[in-house]
Amino acid sequence: MSFKRDKKEEEDSGGNPYQNLDKTIILQEARYFNQSPVNPRKCSLILTKILYLLNQGEQKFTTQEATEAFFATTKLFQSKDVMLRRMVYLCIKELSTLAQDVIIVTSSLTKDMTGKEDLYRAAAIRALCSITDSTMLQAIERYMKQAIVDKNSAVSSAALVSALHLSSTAPDLVRRWANEAQEAISSENAMVSYHALGVVAGSRRNDKLSTVKLVTRLARAPLKSPYALCLLIRLAAQLVEDDDSDAAQPYIEFIECCLRHKSEMVIYEAAHAIVNLRKTARDLAPAVSVLQLFCGSSKASLRLAGARTLARLTAKHPTAVAACAVDLENLISDPNRSVATLAVTTLLATGAESSVDR
Amino acid sequence: MVHTTMEGSLFEPTLYIVKGMCILDNDGNRILAKYYDKDIMPTAKEQKAFEKNLFNKTHRANAEIIMLEGLTCVYKSNVDLFFYVMGSSHENELILQSVLNTLYESVSILLRRNVERRVLLDNLDAVMLAFDEICDGGVILDTDPTSIVGRAALRTEDVPLGEQTVAQILQNIMNM
Repeated sequence: MSFKRDKKEEEDSGGNPYQNLDKTIILQEARYFNQSPVNPRKCSLILTKILYLLNQGEQKFTTQEATEAFFATTKLFQSKDVMLRRMVYLCIKELSTLAQDVIIVTSSLTKDMTGKEDLYRAAAIRALCSITDSTMLQAIERYMKQAIVDKNSAVSSAALVSALHLSSTAPDLVRRWANEAQEAISSENAMVSYHALGVVAGSRRNDKLSTVKLVTRLARAPLKSPYALCLLIRLAAQLVEDDDSDAAQPYIEFIECCLRHKSEMVIYEAAHAIVNLRKTARDLAPAVSVLQLFCGSSKASLRLAGARTLARLTAKHPTAVAACAVDLENLISDPNRSVATLAVTTLLATGAESSVDR
Repeated sequence: MVHTTMEGSLFEPTLYIVKGMCILDNDGNRILAKYYDKDIMPTAKEQKAFEKNLFNKTHRANAEIIMLEGLTCVYKSNVDLFFYVMGSSHENELILQSVLNTLYESVSILLRRNVERRVLLDNLDAVMLAFDEICDGGVILDTDPTSIVGRAALRTEDVPLGEQTVAQILQNIMNM
């Protein structure tokens, strides 16, 4: 124990620049930002300290202190250093909820978002949208639409995710960007297509008919992105739940088709949906056998996913789960406590006498 | 974000999947943490209490995943650092796992495979940027470590020798 403490002391003195930071001293250091020319490394370190303090959340910044720090930070826009600029964006985002008059950086950020430097653009969009309120949105709407269909995938993703965040405060405005988002669904980039689907589905949330159209179209020519596929499975599953007639058959077929996908994430998503939708044990068989395989995986998160979904099934179809009793018994002594607990409770619920004896 | 905890219900079709991400040191102290859902642990005090609890339950058992206080947490540790990604207990665990892999791999590349506390603190700014590139307000932004690092580690390595520490010079020599 004493050895450990010595080692700790040695470590603490061994250059942790973030030990015992004090808010007032940092705010004084931030005055250094006014100097010109800017020293990127030194300023970046001060910004890191500010962010570290905010992240620790123990020394609260008053509105005045946050505003002071924010305005000091804006002086750094004169530097062209990419890393420093990115740290400035991060600080703007973190301080925007605490400081006043943050909209003064709007024009600087708009310039970066439409500028030539690709490394600025995506991050500038996200920072800009975090300080913009719905009244200011109109002014940047045109740029946002362009950014959504930008060739650079980071820019496109940043604009789509920002649009999604904004849709909670300015839904009508963001709905006008749906055409651009629609176009981005077919992007080659997996993340862009995922974000675009999220935005489009979100804008149609209360419009069942157009959701049906969207899902039907995409289920015919499935997306490449595993993340987008997971989302599509969820959308399809919801439609099945709302309307259990024969009209839902194509969705079921699409989901079952996803059981044969190469990504485990998608396979599990499909199995989980089927287990929660299908009514008879026979229809469940393919999904249950996938979950059974998961239970024998070497990865703990797969075992947990399999066991957890099977545990849910016990309430509806104890017989279907009983078929997996042996696999679940193997999990009783699983090194992962969460997995073992799930296995035990599931077995007790299915309660086959043969397994109780063992 | 309304989450039904109903038994046997479907996953919610949303992009807001990540509830939080954090990196703790080997005493369970926070190095970096972000929580994305205002309804879950809104104050720093609650968050730190949760982190302590999480750490106590995970630092000895390297079991990859745990269900705690209504959240699913996937985790991974190395030397004296612990990486966690949290999501709703009603979420596809494998998606959370992929976010954790992204976080760990990105940090690992940034730290030139020396994933330990001191090296991380020396590169804290880059790690903060990587954090920000992986998840935006609970939405998974990118899962490709190479592109994340490409956007987070932009330090121009042109520090004059006189301003470098001995450790940095040694590190540069090692990496040649």
